[in-house]
Amino acid sequence: MDFEPKILGIACNWCTYTGADLAGTTRLKYPQNVRTVRVMCSSRINPSFIIRAFQLGADGVLVGGCHPGDCHYGTGNLYARRKLAVTKKILEFAGMEPKRFRVEWISASEGKKYAEVVEEFTNDVKALGPQTKFKIRKD
Amino acid sequence: MTAMKKIEENLRKEAKRLLEGGEVSVVLAYGRGYDENHPMPFAARTVEDVDSLVFNEYCTFNLARYLPKYPPKTKIAVAVKAADSRAVVQLIQEEKVRREDLVILGIPVTGMKDQKTGEVIDNKTTCNMANPVLYDILLGDEIHGFKGGSPYDVLAELEGMDHDARMAFWKKEFEKCIRCFACRKACPMCYCDPCFMDASRPRWADKSPTPDGHLMYHLTRFYHLAGRCIDCGECSRACPVDIPLYLFHKKLAKECEDMFQQAAGMKIEDKPAMVNYGNQDSDEMLK
Amino acid sequence: MLKKIALEKLGDLVSALMEKGPLYAPVKGEKAVDFQEITNPADVILDFYNTAMSPKFAFFPQSEDLIRYRLGKEATESEAVSLDAKPSVILGVRPCDAKSFEIMDRHFLGAGIIDPYWNDKREKTTIIGYAFDPSTAADPADFYNTLGISASDTAGSDIFMIRTDKHLLFKGITEKGDRLLKELSVLEAGSKTDEKTFEDKAKKGGEVKTRFMEIQDKAVAGKLVQVFNNKEFWEKATAACISCGACTFVCPTCYCFDISDETLFRDGVRKRFWDACMFTDFTLEASGHNPRPRIFQRYRQKVCHKYSYHVDKYGCISCVGCGRCTRSCPVNIDIYSIIESASKL
Repeated sequence: MDFEPKILGIACNWCTYTGADLAGTTRLKYPQNVRTVRVMCSSRINPSFIIRAFQLGADGVLVGGCHPGDCHYGTGNLYARRKLAVTKKILEFAGMEPKRFRVEWISASEGKKYAEVVEEFTNDVKALGPQTKFKIRKD
Repeated sequence: MTAMKKIEENLRKEAKRLLEGGEVSVVLAYGRGYDENHPMPFAARTVEDVDSLVFNEYCTFNLARYLPKYPPKTKIAVAVKAADSRAVVQLIQEEKVRREDLVILGIPVTGMKDQKTGEVIDNKTTCNMANPVLYDILLGDEIHGFKGGSPYDVLAELEGMDHDARMAFWKKEFEKCIRCFACRKACPMCYCDPCFMDASRPRWADKSPTPDGHLMYHLTRFYHLAGRCIDCGECSRACPVDIPLYLFHKKLAKECEDMFQQAAGMKIEDKPAMVNYGNQDSDEMLK
Repeated sequence: MLKKIALEKLGDLVSALMEKGPLYAPVKGEKAVDFQEITNPADVILDFYNTAMSPKFAFFPQSEDLIRYRLGKEATESEAVSLDAKPSVILGVRPCDAKSFEIMDRHFLGAGIIDPYWNDKREKTTIIGYAFDPSTAADPADFYNTLGISASDTAGSDIFMIRTDKHLLFKGITEKGDRLLKELSVLEAGSKTDEKTFEDKAKKGGEVKTRFMEIQDKAVAGKLVQVFNNKEFWEKATAACISCGACTFVCPTCYCFDISDETLFRDGVRKRFWDACMFTDFTLEASGHNPRPRIFQRYRQKVCHKYSYHVDKYGCISCVGCGRCTRSCPVNIDIYSIIESASKL
């Protein structure tokens, strides 16, 4: 059987989540591997969420926020960019494949971009195979 | 008279003056331990205490660690070496202490020694600077022309590994962890109360010492210190099972310097990198 | 019973012991030496001063499963983890650490309730003690003499091992030890001269001097109760303490543990694991109240527990002077100095 990755999507309420909605209402086709959680702003994302997601078995984590400059709260995603950049460095230096974690800025009108990013990311993660590095193993 | 002895003498002299004149109510410095090679952090509160102050090559402790626990507005004199002074600067940036409450006694020194091994502490485990970046009184002569090598040289080997090898390396190191929390307790920048590891809702990591919990604890602690770690090496020296935590901290310090063009604890006017953003920030950093 | 083996045949002995069951022995890590379960006989080393961690883990592991359970929709299935320790051997336990097992027994076995987890492993394990080398000076942090232990004390060991220039000498101390010695065919019988050498070496061990002060259990217990309220003394003595758990985790006689249910999705384990009285949340109550919020209070608890309450409850000091707490302390707090200055108050 083909490997179908489990991907955690964390999307900001104002842009990416609405963008995902748009992708749905315009009936774009994209893989169903992403389970999306909505947060109010991408800067609300605690890097521990991402580590925890990998520990609980996520094969990839996709974070979406407003384009820099377009944050609903003005500057939230500018802080988020620094936080997520450091998170990426941590994952990479700990030994996680960098392709399992991706951040994209997707606005509410970019339903097409949402579908494309999800497709691309799903294929990347699929190519990497199941994530076992952080996953908690039960003996 | 050796440089160390001179520092010790000046330390006692200044401490006495500051306490006598009532300028400060406590002098944070080093005192006698159970033998010569094992001094202790010591808080002198009276003129009599001053005689117990010492300084030698084993006085490695970063005394900035004790600053946040004093009630606000306590006047404190604190003895700092180069890395320690960066910690003080970082704490001032983070508003944990106020500049006007501190008298900073700077110690310019190189060649400190590890108490456990007796080896000289160098750029492998610390930022290896010679002079404090901020001080009111200098207790020794400023050191000129000291070249200790880049603090990031030591990273080459790990950076050269592939991801799987690095994961294996850290798994093996974290497995040694006994969760005594000496690293976070010795760290001058770990002042959270409660620490995320002590929180029960949410429970971020297992309370019992499991490898998965170790991973969560250490990675999150590394994140919390990103852009704040001043590379004093205290966490690794405190670790009773010798986990090379400094490697990860150094890596993040290096990356943060590259991405945000700002090293931790160098300038009092800086805003801490992780609660800030810059016009030069670009999506390149997410690649 | 005295037996011996040539030093270069240590590997054979280790292999023979491994056949009997799990063997724990000192292994050189990157920096420190520690007890580990041996998989390769060549790993065992005898040139070491003392291990960084104490050997208490053999009977009281840092983390131990008690119950496994599965949360169902209606009912929860659970199953107690069965006790199935295999007969094992710990090789190379220093006299102070061997003594610590006897002190821990009083708590785990002698307090009216027998702890089945401790008991199971304790009963099935043979301890091979190992004298400190009398030609090496004691570590400045050690003070086992103060607690009445010598560098070649056999108390607490089942078999006691002494190294000579060319041989390892083994003397059976308990019945369990004699039984194991008999079963080990790789060992030669010791001669009269060997017995003489053993006695001489053991005597020499008595001459190794660590830090020493005269203490009597009852007197020091009473004294600490007296100085309990001397806040100034405790605050000063523990001013450097950063309240990490290093001292308690390396200690051979610290036995405090916590129990927690850890569930992942629906499967879970109830575990017990080491806890440390130095942690802020050690005494934190559900209401949010913490009876020991200050560091000096927690350190005072540690000292008084070991040197006072333990004497009242179990009739002995809960410390063997191995010096580990002092050596591993990130800020060099020394329990010996604290007891010394408390006695002088």
